[in-house]
Amino acid sequence: MDRRKVLKNIGTGIGAIAVTPTVVSLFQSCQTATGYTPVFIPQEDFGMVSNLMELIIPTTDTPGAIELKLPEFLDAYVDGVWSQEDQARFAEGWTAFKSSAVKASGKESASQLTLEDWDVQLANCLKSESTPSEDDLAAAFADQLRGLTVNAFKTNEYIGENVLAYAPIPGDYKGCVDLQETTGGKAWSL
Amino acid sequence: MTRNKFLYLVIPIFNKRKFYMETQYDAIVVGTGVSGGWAAKELCEKGLKTLVLERGRMVKHIEDYPTINDDPWDYKTGDVITNETKKVQGKQSRTGYTTTESRKHFFVNDLEHPYNETKRFDWMRGYHVGGRSLTWGRQSYRLTDFDFEANLKDGIAVDWPIRYKDLAPWYDYVEGYIGVSGQNVGLPQFPDGNYLKPMDLNCVEDHLQDSISKNYKDRLLTIGRTAIITEGTKPGLGRMSCQYRSRCMRGCPFGAYFSSNSSTLPAAEKTGNMTLRPNSTVSEVIYDADKKRATGVRVIDTETQEVYEFNAKVIFLCASSVPSTSILMQSKSEAFPNGMGNASDQLGRNIMDHHLGVGASASTDDFQDKYFFGRRNNGIYIPRFRNIGGDTDRKDYLRGYGYQGGGSRRSWTSKVAEMGYGAQFKEEVLKPGSWSIGLGGFGEVLPYEDNRMTLNHDKLDKWGLPTVTFDASIKENELNMRKDMQQQAVEMLENAGFKNVRGYDGDYALGLGIHEMGTARMGRDPKTSVLNKHSQIHDVPNVFVTDGSGMTSASNVNPSLTYMALSARAANHAVEELKKMNL
Repeated sequence: MDRRKVLKNIGTGIGAIAVTPTVVSLFQSCQTATGYTPVFIPQEDFGMVSNLMELIIPTTDTPGAIELKLPEFLDAYVDGVWSQEDQARFAEGWTAFKSSAVKASGKESASQLTLEDWDVQLANCLKSESTPSEDDLAAAFADQLRGLTVNAFKTNEYIGENVLAYAPIPGDYKGCVDLQETTGGKAWSL
Repeated sequence: MTRNKFLYLVIPIFNKRKFYMETQYDAIVVGTGVSGGWAAKELCEKGLKTLVLERGRMVKHIEDYPTINDDPWDYKTGDVITNETKKVQGKQSRTGYTTTESRKHFFVNDLEHPYNETKRFDWMRGYHVGGRSLTWGRQSYRLTDFDFEANLKDGIAVDWPIRYKDLAPWYDYVEGYIGVSGQNVGLPQFPDGNYLKPMDLNCVEDHLQDSISKNYKDRLLTIGRTAIITEGTKPGLGRMSCQYRSRCMRGCPFGAYFSSNSSTLPAAEKTGNMTLRPNSTVSEVIYDADKKRATGVRVIDTETQEVYEFNAKVIFLCASSVPSTSILMQSKSEAFPNGMGNASDQLGRNIMDHHLGVGASASTDDFQDKYFFGRRNNGIYIPRFRNIGGDTDRKDYLRGYGYQGGGSRRSWTSKVAEMGYGAQFKEEVLKPGSWSIGLGGFGEVLPYEDNRMTLNHDKLDKWGLPTVTFDASIKENELNMRKDMQQQAVEMLENAGFKNVRGYDGDYALGLGIHEMGTARMGRDPKTSVLNKHSQIHDVPNVFVTDGSGMTSASNVNPSLTYMALSARAANHAVEELKKMNL
């Protein structure tokens, strides 16, 4: 992986976060903020997973993953919906993702990794044009994590009712209408 | 003194209400789904005192639809099938859509209602007032003489004892009452009907419709014909037009789609002639060998385990194909050692469904500036175009199939994934993605004698009744048809210029279409069939079976409308026969 290319790609993640001061406190407090006890993700990893999800869905003019409690949703979802085999693969992928992040950073353990290290690792997995084959598990995990994060985001009450176009009782059906006129370019939430 | 005596009498009556329940009726209807609701309505409206028995719990329109206004975020993990649900509704979950959080209460608990599979058989059903009329797909199509004449023409199984002209007026009547929206298209293999205004096609469906009309002389695309009110109202409990929420399977607070609960049962109740008794499993039909008539039914109260007998002049079995057939199999007597009406040994045989899970999907980058308004719980339909004469006849299989499907525009596509993650990604995720479209085949399954259900008397349910064992599968005719179903779907989507066209042939087992039928077939000859042309048991003419049991062949269209038409027709015949003192 071309390190320079990765760093160039990081911008969309870290850069956008940096302009929002509240995010700093969110990050600092994320491991203990809610007092949430995860049911699937190991307690000691919950903060790291939360940070990764915040990188995927950062706070912008709308709330990001942590404020929306998407990590809590994801934890309950994998535990409550996924089969044991899929859970095992997810756990295995997480271990591989962590160790490849540690390796890439040149540090000794996952607990020493900074947000920037995680951002590099995510970019490696999700923005690289060709994924190194030994990182398949890690890349597959990153893709799964992204999918789960988007699912949590779109199943979120605040996003569903206030950000996406929400029409619980449309009252009518029109098959072919102008997107901008109808929802201002937003997707329907339901 | 008189007063005291009165009180003394009233208290035990109140406490043992069921004990004192009337036991003599004009008619008994077993089951409250599409067939039972129709039989109840017709019999009550014609003045018959009717006892309607339902094995499951009471479900009152609107009042007992607990999830009608839930959004996905009202559930901890969204409106999906959870691991907890799979523990108790594993088989009910096989469709992948039946037991999500908002719907699971309308499907049985598999641990309480077990069945056995010599070969995999998917049996999804709900035991409650309204049955599957609450959760059905609502697609409403008429059979045609291509169907009614098919067995005779092909030399398969036995001939239907009726033709389209026998059922056509009843289709008109039922459609007019329940409300079916759709478009008349003038195809002989796809009869027109009595429809409310059709729903819109969306942009990609409209495009596919044009393309199919340009590229094919033998087929067309039309909007699905669905039992949803699109204009005005229909009789029932304040039924009104669809509000396009697409939450039909939870029960509709507007009564926009047809269910027994919103339509036929209220009509029956209004007459004052109906007694509805939930939590009542019928274990057998009682036979009087001297009179050569059924005299009533034996019922187990599922809550108290107490056994009751109710008597009537006519009995309608409308419990759906497998349970109605089970009741007949359990109804053994000296006259019927192998089950009531089973002199032909056809009871439980010829089980059919519609085979599906095969077709193609595609996407397009066109129509990016177009969207839809409202959620239409209805799809597109491509009527059968195979084996209807001339160039359409195939050498590799008999009968035909139709397609159902639709276009949609969802978000979160692979294009978005290319953006990786982060702020811009987040923005893109909030926008609609590309349009996609899918065509799924619905194929006819032939009646095979060795595709059957039997009863296992060694494995009883918690009420001491035998459990059902299925031993049935699709065969060469269906497998050959599936190849064509996939190929034609791919070809139509490619001809329309769609991208990423992918054919699929998924994991289908009989029952997955939730159209199980044919286990007490109609026919002309008592030696080879169970029911006659009026859905009466040949040898016991005061027992009518008007659910899917009677289907002599499956056709390729969704069957519920036909069950309703057969039920209404049979009920009216029963009333006429009673008047003539023939029953």
